[in-house]
Amino acid sequence: MTQFGTWQPKIRGKLFYNWPQGACEEALRFTSAGQLGVEPYDVAIVGAGVVGCGLAYRLSQYDLRVLLIDRLHDVGEGTSKANSALIHSGYDAKPGSLESKLLHEAEADWPGLAARLKIPLDPIGGIMMAVTDEQERQLEAAEKNAHANRATDVRILSATEIREREPNASPDVRGGLLVPGESLVDPFMASIAYAEIALANGVDILLGADIAGVELGQPPGAPLHHLVTADGHRLPVRRIVNAAGLGSRRLADGYGGGAFDINPRRGQFLLFDKSARPLVQHILLPVPTAHTKGVLVAPTIFGNLLAGPTAEDLPLEDPAATHTTVEGIRRVVEGGSRLVDGLARQPVIATYAGARCACSQGSYVIRHNDGAPGIVTVTGARSTGLTASISLARHLIDGMQKELGLELSPDSAALDCRPDSAWPGWWRRPFENGATDARADHGCAVCFCEVISGGEIRDALDSPLKPRTMDALKRRTRVLSGRCQGFDCQVPLAEIVSGHTGIGIAQLTKNGPGSELVVPGQAEVTA
Amino acid sequence: MSCGQHFKVAIIGGGPAGIGVAVGLAKRGIGPVVLIERRAEVGGTPMGYRKKPGGVPTFVEWTRGRVVFGEELAGRMAKRLAKTDTTIRLSAQVTQIDPAEKRLTLLWPEGVCDVTADAVVLAAGAREQTPAEKGWLAGARTARVGFTRHITGWLDGHGLLPARKPVVVGSDLIAYSAAAKLRAAGSDKPVMIDRRRSPSAGLFERLFFRRWTRPDWSGDVTAAGIKGDRSAAGVQSSDGQDWHGDGVMICGELVPNTELALLGGLAVELPSRQLQLARGQALSEPGWFAAGNVLGGFHGAQWCYFNGRQAARRVANFLE
Repeated sequence: MTQFGTWQPKIRGKLFYNWPQGACEEALRFTSAGQLGVEPYDVAIVGAGVVGCGLAYRLSQYDLRVLLIDRLHDVGEGTSKANSALIHSGYDAKPGSLESKLLHEAEADWPGLAARLKIPLDPIGGIMMAVTDEQERQLEAAEKNAHANRATDVRILSATEIREREPNASPDVRGGLLVPGESLVDPFMASIAYAEIALANGVDILLGADIAGVELGQPPGAPLHHLVTADGHRLPVRRIVNAAGLGSRRLADGYGGGAFDINPRRGQFLLFDKSARPLVQHILLPVPTAHTKGVLVAPTIFGNLLAGPTAEDLPLEDPAATHTTVEGIRRVVEGGSRLVDGLARQPVIATYAGARCACSQGSYVIRHNDGAPGIVTVTGARSTGLTASISLARHLIDGMQKELGLELSPDSAALDCRPDSAWPGWWRRPFENGATDARADHGCAVCFCEVISGGEIRDALDSPLKPRTMDALKRRTRVLSGRCQGFDCQVPLAEIVSGHTGIGIAQLTKNGPGSELVVPGQAEVTA
Repeated sequence: MSCGQHFKVAIIGGGPAGIGVAVGLAKRGIGPVVLIERRAEVGGTPMGYRKKPGGVPTFVEWTRGRVVFGEELAGRMAKRLAKTDTTIRLSAQVTQIDPAEKRLTLLWPEGVCDVTADAVVLAAGAREQTPAEKGWLAGARTARVGFTRHITGWLDGHGLLPARKPVVVGSDLIAYSAAAKLRAAGSDKPVMIDRRRSPSAGLFERLFFRRWTRPDWSGDVTAAGIKGDRSAAGVQSSDGQDWHGDGVMICGELVPNTELALLGGLAVELPSRQLQLARGQALSEPGWFAAGNVLGGFHGAQWCYFNGRQAARRVANFLE
């Protein structure tokens, strides 16, 4: 048994936080571009969401100098952190589209991929439920569409068959569609695991660095561009992949990228307590309308029950893109209650909203040599980015080989898997399964709702990506995410982080500068 | 504690109610008794309200007719507990219960361990309702949206002010005491908002806290959202009222900590999370009892202590 909290083998990449006066140690602080070396990067990926991290993971298998960069202070912190936590089978995609192709490929990848990333995946399957006569009439077309997407195991179920599988299904259910390929996954750990392997394989990661512009190099040949951060650091790069999600338009304007229009499509979700989990056995999907896929009800891999999302198109840069509304949450409860009886009386523990990157030009807009040679734009991942992250990474690398002249030679020392020692993970507990090397602090619970120990938090702080914000710890350990929403654990958690890292407790943040846990400018008074 | 140890009575929770049970059982000569507390000290919520000069005493000690700091009150209770033979397990959390077998699974510094008992008392206290549970408060998920427990944790534990311009959500005694604590520690005059038309704290209670603050009150808020980008910048109602601040404190309106009962299969009402009582303080399964704020509502520390003493009587009757 590998010892908990010790990543073996060696980490070859560099990790820095661009966090001038902030809550990270001196050794992690980015102060000059020289820290990353003088040699230009072969590829710089702007945007460490699940798409960027997946690409970094795939590129790390080759002998290349790669940089993964994000404006936020953890990977997977933007669009990738708030979604329905599902792996889609692509049964409802547009047949023949790139999305359909990517989802079909990815569906076959995921069981093996989850095992390599060491993240939990639960292939529980989905049922699309028709609750009106009109919806029932649409089932046949939906089945045909699924078969056209090569989801051949999709078939129509009668109301009786659904009730056998889902005793708490709404009494209005008329029939449905069985979609065996849908799975539950930990959406946070997908980005984190990709990035950890990439870092171990030598990909450099720079967090908290907003790219304000691109200085284009001059052809002929593969020109040397520079990424310029908001605080003026210049990073030399040969190729740039714009995977900046909702920031991709602003970045593309910086290098004269082609026309595309994106906007945040807000999805509000409602998370129910674990007592609601037995209510539902599958991922329950509504019959989509022309406007939206509608409100689904799904278990989460964490053992909760989830309902959502809404689909509200908001203008780009709207600060409310990740805000919930009383009205939106009411609509989610209504929508969920159409599928599941008794949902409304289940205790709610949290509401959240995610902003999908909706693109008027369709899902997965990919442009090579966009604006200048060596630049790839990938945008519009909308709602299937997590699922497609792996097949999209392969697709992008193929494109870079063909269109950008990227030469690939496999790195024989590269890891393909997260090692067993890549703990912590909330699903592997130090005291479970006869583990013998747990420490005493692995037995001291800090988060009482999810039963997370101080030891697990210390191990997470020591993990390769050195998470330093409360939200980053939450995504790794599930601390702060139980029914009390940090009531009991916020202050003790901050005490542990401060004690373990030496960062002043008053400097600690929820998710980076400006999100200090107490009003800034105070010094701690110790009793 | 060797695994599989059997006790006459197991008490879950070492706050005022749990201590009351332990003291009551000791007076009756019932033992062995184990008291299981998930934090590193007994005393529960009042213990976080540290005694300090210039602070706000918020706990009524009815038996002596005065208002004191939580730490003083809980400290006196802890002393009474220390005089008993109760086995006390600190930093030990019950993670699972088996109601029929009266078996508890614990996580504590030595690992995972099972304990059985002839009777079990649930004295797990309560927590404050989250914005999602309120239903009328949505908006941004930012830093500096906290609970009263965070105010005491930051202020009494570290001398740090969680907000300089606080917006307090809630209007019961806890909300008023939170507003008073913030003001006494140097915040601006707090703004207080609630869904109710008039504050739920009584007139006498409000008069008491006037010594430190008279929060700016706005009632009748039907739907509102927390504003802010990375940190809370106040609250805005759907009809356009705006309360500016640099921290939002979610105060009062307690939710009983009944998750062990709920997930273990004891009868619990939903969505209120209230325990269903068979009679008195007895729960749906014979041999299970509850004491203190886990029974629902909001009661002071001394009420919880005496309620624990009463539960001890009921446990004694059951064991006979």
